[in-house]
Amino acid sequence: MSTLTGIWGKFNKNRGNAFGYGLLIPSIIVFAIFTFWPFLYTVYLSFFDWNMISPEKEFVGLRNYMEVLSDSKTYRIIGNTFLYIVLLLAINCVVPYIFAFVIDVVLKRFNGFYKSAMFLPAFISLVVGSILFTWILNPVSGPLAIIFGWLGLEIPNWTKTQGWVILVLSLITSWKVFGYNFILLYASINGISREVIESARLDNVPLWRLFLQIILPMSSATGIYVFIITIVQSLQYVFTPVKVITQGGPDYASSNLIYHAYHEAFVVYRTGHSAAISIITMALFLILLFLEFKLVERGIYYEN
Amino acid sequence: MKTNRAVALTWHIIFMATVLILVFPIIYAVGMSFKPLQDAYNNVLNILPLHPSLENYITLFDTLPILQITMNTFIIASVVTIFKIVTSFLAAYAFVYFDFKGKEILYFVLIGTIFIPFTVTMIPNYLIISEMGLLDSIWGVMLPQLADAVGIFLIRQSMKSIPVSLVEVARLDNMGHRRIMKDIVLPLVRPAVTAVGIWFFISTWNEFVWPVLILKTTDNYTLPLALQMFISSEGGTNFTVAMAVSVITMIIPLILYLIFQKYIIGTFTSSGIK
Amino acid sequence: MRKMLRATLFLALILLLAACNSNDAGSATTDGKTTIEYWHVNAETQGGQTVKQLVEDFNAQSDTVEVVAKYNPDMYKGLMQNLQADAAAGNAPAVVQVGWSFLNYFSDNFSYVSPQKVIDEHFPEDKTFLQDKFLPNIMDLAKNSDGEQVGVPYSLSTPVLYINRDILREAGLDENGPQTWEEVKEFSKVIKEETGKSGFYFQEPADNWATQALLESNGAQFITDGKATFASEEGIEAYELLADMVLEDETALHIGWDQGVQSFIDGSVAMAYTTIAQRSNIQDNAQFDVAAVKSPAWEGKDPKLPAGGSMLAITAPNEEEQKAAWEFMSYLYSIESMADWTKGTGYVPPRNDVADAENGLKTYLEENEMMTAAVEQMDGVVSWASFPGDSGLQAEQLLLDLRDRILEGSVTVEEGLTETEDKINELLQ
Repeated sequence: MSTLTGIWGKFNKNRGNAFGYGLLIPSIIVFAIFTFWPFLYTVYLSFFDWNMISPEKEFVGLRNYMEVLSDSKTYRIIGNTFLYIVLLLAINCVVPYIFAFVIDVVLKRFNGFYKSAMFLPAFISLVVGSILFTWILNPVSGPLAIIFGWLGLEIPNWTKTQGWVILVLSLITSWKVFGYNFILLYASINGISREVIESARLDNVPLWRLFLQIILPMSSATGIYVFIITIVQSLQYVFTPVKVITQGGPDYASSNLIYHAYHEAFVVYRTGHSAAISIITMALFLILLFLEFKLVERGIYYEN
Repeated sequence: MKTNRAVALTWHIIFMATVLILVFPIIYAVGMSFKPLQDAYNNVLNILPLHPSLENYITLFDTLPILQITMNTFIIASVVTIFKIVTSFLAAYAFVYFDFKGKEILYFVLIGTIFIPFTVTMIPNYLIISEMGLLDSIWGVMLPQLADAVGIFLIRQSMKSIPVSLVEVARLDNMGHRRIMKDIVLPLVRPAVTAVGIWFFISTWNEFVWPVLILKTTDNYTLPLALQMFISSEGGTNFTVAMAVSVITMIIPLILYLIFQKYIIGTFTSSGIK
Repeated sequence: MRKMLRATLFLALILLLAACNSNDAGSATTDGKTTIEYWHVNAETQGGQTVKQLVEDFNAQSDTVEVVAKYNPDMYKGLMQNLQADAAAGNAPAVVQVGWSFLNYFSDNFSYVSPQKVIDEHFPEDKTFLQDKFLPNIMDLAKNSDGEQVGVPYSLSTPVLYINRDILREAGLDENGPQTWEEVKEFSKVIKEETGKSGFYFQEPADNWATQALLESNGAQFITDGKATFASEEGIEAYELLADMVLEDETALHIGWDQGVQSFIDGSVAMAYTTIAQRSNIQDNAQFDVAAVKSPAWEGKDPKLPAGGSMLAITAPNEEEQKAAWEFMSYLYSIESMADWTKGTGYVPPRNDVADAENGLKTYLEENEMMTAAVEQMDGVVSWASFPGDSGLQAEQLLLDLRDRILEGSVTVEEGLTETEDKINELLQ
């Protein structure tokens, strides 16, 4: 990489750089107008008490930040946000990784069927998923509750119970994203040279070691991709079931940072607060992203 | 070494159970879309309708210009997907093969936008689209979505895995950037491009918060908006018609997927996504 | 290269399609009509078709005005969000449906003209239309906390008690349902014991409308002189009844609105306290002997029910559009339109003369017994408590948070109500 750019640099530094910038122009134009400018505007708004339309816009300095940071609700919601991330990483990163490995390496039959069937829900919007699961998982009248009733069991009142609500909303989100992640991981594992796997199996390497020591490192580029995309999903995708099913309730027990920013901006119209929450959210995740760059990215295996 | 039969069986059971959990709601939704609403309320355990009827689909086609709406959704999803892929590919190429001032910071800033809540951009973007006179137009829906940080991130990841020597040699042969992109880099990152392409298409196909804001007349609606017309907390949701919309919404990406399945899976498995 | 060419052609085709698409959406007024936008919240299950029909009929008979209707998902909250964006962009539709709980927020933050002003300026013949056709207490619903007339009431709803007569009979109870809240509690106990089913569901949407009905019917006041006063003795007593049914007796359900209605319709719960707007949904889908009875009172007290629904307000920015707006509104308020509107939505008409008129709802009401409960209890209607000032919506939200906490048992009614009342009064200062 560095030798390459070194060579290019020597040959035609200026021309090459101009071309490089040129390639970025389309993206930068779109980002500048539709992301950076709104973002700067939000930073500006986070210092005001305003609702976007009232003629008076009061400058309040850091008060919005102080109010947000001194509100115990904020910490609950940050906690929820990370709980969603952990749950979704477990369900949509770890589990499909193992599944993909088993289907590719261990099993011989039905592989095609599993692949297609698991990918199916990826096509459905989460709005539909949310309505559908509200119906299917109705704790009194849903089909699941009725079947459980025959066995003398009750299903929890998940929309109104802390803890359960996050778990079920995570499962609803997972229902949609699981298959996509699975297919990607499967493809990556399937692309690993069969010779490596076969020779390991001839040496009687146990499956778990084969997974941890050969498969995991050799597919880590896709692994990181799925990892990152799952974090994005658990922030942004979870919004839809929260909005459709619980509106953040009961008492903020299912809210996450993105939903809360929405709630402040478009339900109670506290634009300043919402802006401050957005900035805090971004700062939090930029720190994580930075750590990812520093720590994880080095260890990725690129099949050179 | 042979896999133990019991182990294999256990795994098959686990997978079958997973498939059942994942697919059951879809079957349920399809079944519901052929039931009268009263039947849906009173016979929840019948997955398939006792008296199948097309009533819900007829209601749907009577109330909304569904073909036009499907077309709008398709255009929006296709244009957005194509643009996102092109802009992401170009940007990723610049980030991998060029060295320029502020590259790292610019990259970091671009990637950071992934974590901006959409509430931040919603109203300012609405103002811009309104200024441009694009309210109630599918262009207004598409315009802010023509580039994507996730795409840049993933395609760059993939490009970084291309052996340096390949590009180096081409460069020494005085091959132009355009040819290097097209003949060397693109074929090697095709799996990643396909993967993000599917992701973009499905997300755009199903998005509703932004189109709800921009689109007004039913002729310009997208499918997820059409769905919203049958959901009401106060008047009650018409679940069965809503499910009919959902089935229509699901079927087109599914057909596309089935057509391109060989290509997609083939692309992935020939080399994996790197 | 051929691939490139194909890809380019494909792209060109799509762009072309997109271009054609946006062309025919042009809202140019070729025939010299003034085009105005009407924003509503009526989903297909709540009169969406009626709105479409009314707008089409209006456009067909008017030579001067063309109305474009825009549906806003997620009820009045969703409409308010879209209106917010539009106002920030400096635009405005001409006529909007505003839900009662947004009355003060709307009048504080958006520019509107009082309908009477538009009438006085452009339609002298309609000068007394509003006085003549609406009862004063109904017109008052659309006055903000400063007493200004913001809009004209358009749809009215009240909460009623839906009962499953089959279950009541099975439990050996009066099939006409309970008359008082105390009886609701007793009935529910008996139902639980006799049938094993849940007795009661109290609607839980993202507003405090039904809660207000429960508390104020017992003599509490949500707002007195701009201050929250719901944590009175009567307020606490009323809320405790509901909390007891959910937590102690376990005879009432504590689930989301859609789920609660689903459970009533499929016969899992015997009584449901929810809006008359749910009538057609419940009537069409329930397969048992279903009835709607008047909202229960408290022993020895008269019920006080907040009006639900919406008003129409004129947000048109210039005179031409304002004129067009009233032309459209006066069409919507005609007896025939009101009758269609009522049939389509299940709301109670705000005009005083529609219910009895031959070309209005006379036969319809005779045939629809379930509507009678809602129409009869209109005398007891009060305004939906809309907290004044910039923090009004936050106050509303605090009450919603409180409902979650009370019904999950994490705070006692007395403590919760008192604490929330203090918090709201602090906010409103």
